[in-house]
Amino acid sequence: MTDQPVTYSADSRLASIWSAAAASWLPPITLILAIVVAWEAAVRIFSISSFIIPAPTEVAKSLVAQWDTLMQATLVTAGEILFGFVVSVVVGIAIALIIVRFDWLGRALYPLVVLFQNVPKVALAPIFILWFGYGLAPKIGLILVIAFFPVTLSMLAGMKSVDHSLLLLMNSVGASRTQILFRILVPHSLPSLMAGTKIAATLSVIGAIVGEFAGASDGLGYIIQFASTQLDTALVFAALLLVSVLGVAFYYAAEILERIVVPWRPKFNDA
Amino acid sequence: MSHLAHANARKQTAVQTDELITANGVSVVLGNQLILQNIDLSIPQGSFVSLIGPSGCGKSTLLKVLAGLVTPTSGSVSIAGLSATEAARRRMIGLVFQDANLLPWKNAVDNASMLLSIANRSLSRAELQARGQEMLELVGLGDASNKYPHELSGGMRQRVAIARALALDPAVLLMDEPFGALDAITRDSMGQSLLEIWQRTGKTIVLVTHSIDEAVHLSNHVHVLGIRPGRITESMDIDLPYPRDLSVAEDPEFVKQAVHLRMLLRASHQPGGAS
Ligand SMILES: Nc1ncnc2c1ncn2[C@@H]1O[C@H](COP(=O)(O)OP(=O)(O)O)[C@@H](O)[C@H]1O
Ligand SMILES: [Mg+2]
Repeated sequence: MTDQPVTYSADSRLASIWSAAAASWLPPITLILAIVVAWEAAVRIFSISSFIIPAPTEVAKSLVAQWDTLMQATLVTAGEILFGFVVSVVVGIAIALIIVRFDWLGRALYPLVVLFQNVPKVALAPIFILWFGYGLAPKIGLILVIAFFPVTLSMLAGMKSVDHSLLLLMNSVGASRTQILFRILVPHSLPSLMAGTKIAATLSVIGAIVGEFAGASDGLGYIIQFASTQLDTALVFAALLLVSVLGVAFYYAAEILERIVVPWRPKFNDA
Repeated sequence: MSHLAHANARKQTAVQTDELITANGVSVVLGNQLILQNIDLSIPQGSFVSLIGPSGCGKSTLLKVLAGLVTPTSGSVSIAGLSATEAARRRMIGLVFQDANLLPWKNAVDNASMLLSIANRSLSRAELQARGQEMLELVGLGDASNKYPHELSGGMRQRVAIARALALDPAVLLMDEPFGALDAITRDSMGQSLLEIWQRTGKTIVLVTHSIDEAVHLSNHVHVLGIRPGRITESMDIDLPYPRDLSVAEDPEFVKQAVHLRMLLRASHQPGGAS
């Protein structure tokens, strides 16, 4: 609270921001609340056992009781996601650049990349554990194989969508391939690349959890698995809740990244 | 404005019969289709030449041949005594397409100097900006230099594209339906601006157009292309004095020439036999 008197115009502007926020946030929040209430009511009315479906209040209790353990696990998982995400984006971009810059290598690489995309990569998790042990490495590896593809593909699509006559213009002044790549193709691909990066952010969360399922001694995935063997379903749900929060947080982080990287999008033109 | 003075001087010293561009027996086969057949063309220094013909007859291909972007299957092109590729390498060719193709992440000045920055790597950023600004002023966009493409109208974007080509100080401006995507009113005023730019800079202009009125309004020579295969079927001079403004369209002489051109164009729509 401020002790400065609030002017009328600031007040009304605040009010209009509030009402705009309320208009977009109110419906989903209302629905979520309704679901939680209905869930709580259903569990009580039908007296469903808490190790089958715990009531929201049970989940909340578990969340509070295990707060320190859960936060520690969240940090571990968040670290894996962040690290894996960054590696995926870097590798994804590098592969796209190699495919576009070097004809022969590109023609060799592209079918392999597509072929590899059809491997059910979740099934690689046990192999990665076998190779790299229980630490960070197998999780990063798994996130990488799951998340680099949308990055590569979206960047390639962005570069391919450059108008042919723009390339003719560049050729008409004798631009080199490297100049065309870095002055035209790469910046042109950024909006599309950022869309792929947002998908990679979501897939990184999945990669980290699957990696922890396959073999870990820490992290939210480990807690989910451990708690389910103990039939502590409330703790499973509490951990799931935190995984979801992580997913949303990473998605919005990617969206903020997009606004920084693609500032020429019309809606940010006054930046 | 030094380049303008320079260009004007060049225009004045150029003898009207000086051919800047000549094409001798140019044929182009793409795939296994004969796109252009035996094109002979001579374009005088400082002239404004229009190429007109039905869609798909090979106008764009011909322009690319002149720009050194497509190598003719047979025949040759010379621009001021050089091959088209060599002329392109020496920045003698300015290109403008139907789509302005501005870079959305650069403002108007940076877009206007973008090709120059690649063609001449020795220029400093300040020099590039100064040149870009000068060119924007030439096309009537001097006060829009900090605007981004999405803040400009279609006509303004195309003006930036013309500025970008002129920034190279090319010997010839090759334009492929540059006003094809614009509405009729913008189109008229763009044509008028192009005439003024032509007269101020003395550049040679080759314009591909679909519009009979545009060809008659702007150019002093028109070549009509026929289809399948693409070849020059007719050529005509437009005998109307410059400077021309939009009211030239009401001139009975304009109407006569436009009617004549329409007739030539209609004849060119019939596919011709190979010779
Ligand atoms: N790269 C290419 N390969 C094969 N055919 C082409 C190619 N480019 C253009 N053509 C064909 O050449 C003909 C002339 O094309 P174009 O020069 O674009 O005509 P215009 O500009 O007069 O409409 C068209 O039939 C087109 O399909
Ligand atoms: Mg064309």
